[in-house]
Amino acid sequence: MSLLKVQDVVTAYGKIEALKGVSLEVAQGSITCLLGPNGAGKTTLMMSIAGILRPRRGAILFGGEDIAGRAPHAIVARGVALVPENRLVFPSMTVLENLHAGAYQRGDKKTIAEDLEKMFGRFPPLKERAAQQAGTLSGGEQQMLAVARALMSRPKLLLMDEPSLGLAPLVVEEIFRIVAELHKDGTTIFLVEQNAHMALKVAEHFYLMEQGKVSFSGTPGALAEDEVIRRAYLGSSKA
Amino acid sequence: MTDLAQSTLDGLFLGSSYALLALGFTLIFGVLRRVNLSFGPAIMFGCYAATWTHLNSGAGLLLLALVTIAGAVLAGAYVERLCFAPHRGGSAIAAMVASFALWMQFEELVSIALPRHIYDFPPLYAGASLSLGALSLRAESLVMLFAAIAVCAFLWWILYRTRFGVAVRAVIDQPQAAQLAGISVPRIFMLTFALASAIGGLAGFLTAASHEQVTPMLGMWFTLKGLLAMMLGGLGSLPGAVLGGLALGLLEAHSQWFFGPQTRDLIAYALLFVLLAARVPWMTTRSAS
Repeated sequence: MSLLKVQDVVTAYGKIEALKGVSLEVAQGSITCLLGPNGAGKTTLMMSIAGILRPRRGAILFGGEDIAGRAPHAIVARGVALVPENRLVFPSMTVLENLHAGAYQRGDKKTIAEDLEKMFGRFPPLKERAAQQAGTLSGGEQQMLAVARALMSRPKLLLMDEPSLGLAPLVVEEIFRIVAELHKDGTTIFLVEQNAHMALKVAEHFYLMEQGKVSFSGTPGALAEDEVIRRAYLGSSKA
Repeated sequence: MTDLAQSTLDGLFLGSSYALLALGFTLIFGVLRRVNLSFGPAIMFGCYAATWTHLNSGAGLLLLALVTIAGAVLAGAYVERLCFAPHRGGSAIAAMVASFALWMQFEELVSIALPRHIYDFPPLYAGASLSLGALSLRAESLVMLFAAIAVCAFLWWILYRTRFGVAVRAVIDQPQAAQLAGISVPRIFMLTFALASAIGGLAGFLTAASHEQVTPMLGMWFTLKGLLAMMLGGLGSLPGAVLGGLALGLLEAHSQWFFGPQTRDLIAYALLFVLLAARVPWMTTRSAS
């Protein structure tokens, strides 16, 4: 049962098509990973799903409803949250205010307070720095905050655009531990990742995107078997 | 010494009206990253709506204040729809030039409705000035100062204590992330415009009532003073807008006292020029709310 179905999506910047007819599916309850070189269109796809970019053609079905071209806040309301590339926390706002911003569409103060406690339990550094401006956090802490902010909207589908970008290896492991935990709690996760070694440990299905098109789709096993992909993404030695 | 104290006092009162104008400008600039040249003319439109009401009815001051604010908000919403909503994320210059076109519209509109160059506006307080030892102060000035303080407190409460305030600051800080957090940015734009216009409308009413007259030139006056105070305080900073407004008021009052009334604006603009040319850090780097 797929929660997200992207069908033949074309997104362009002016005359240049960054997505040239992308189709893929994310199964309910899965961790699905999108690999690909820089400039392949991975971020463009994430932005198109989240509604920041408007696809020129094609359909994006979320739970059966076409959300392509809807406003970002309407897409959040349906249960899709994107943790953007480079985190994009609100730097001059406190950690607590960042989390409140994530819960913007929710009215019930009681469940928001419960979720805040949950986030502080899951991300202890955020609790320590709750009153601190988000711009003063370290990269890893900002990534935690970006993930927690997205979770505050109680998404059914969590999109993550390169959560390990620019982080130290230990912090990357921490982030992936969190991804695995969220998955265990039932959140469906669609992840863009350059760090294929880490992604192989958690993801159940892989897509490879090159030059605006999906060029591979398969399980971690099939991915590791593929000679070309192994060379490009996992180094030449057999994993 | 008394003269110096008197002109400092005058400057603070004058500056508190500039602070209100700068706050309105800063809200719009911070949220949209656009300069709205029609900010002043929209306020002037509100003043004329009140003048028209005054001429055609026996409306009291409170009602005239509300008419001014409502007129400014209505005109502000018109500016937002026509100039800023279509250019969202697009050209900043296009939006600014469009807002200049609406400035001309507002001036023409009020001149058609009320064609004389100057109309009387009822004063806030008809009695004599109060005296404080050797210093004298007008009642309007005190009202202006208290209004500025009250608006600052109210704005602070809205921005730092409400859900709407979190959304406004999120849009100022990181517009794309605000969208991803589920905040409807177009809606925040519209509400920010309305809030800024209401603050401007209040400043407009107090200014018209303390000058006891309105003219179509008020539009330019509001825009220039607000813009100047906003730039002095550092683009996009709300506390900076208040400080910039007060600084401009003090500067004008003191230069008037030292060099005579003709030099008042000259010195203010010369200072702005020097500060911009010297690229003082607080004016060139945008500090967030």
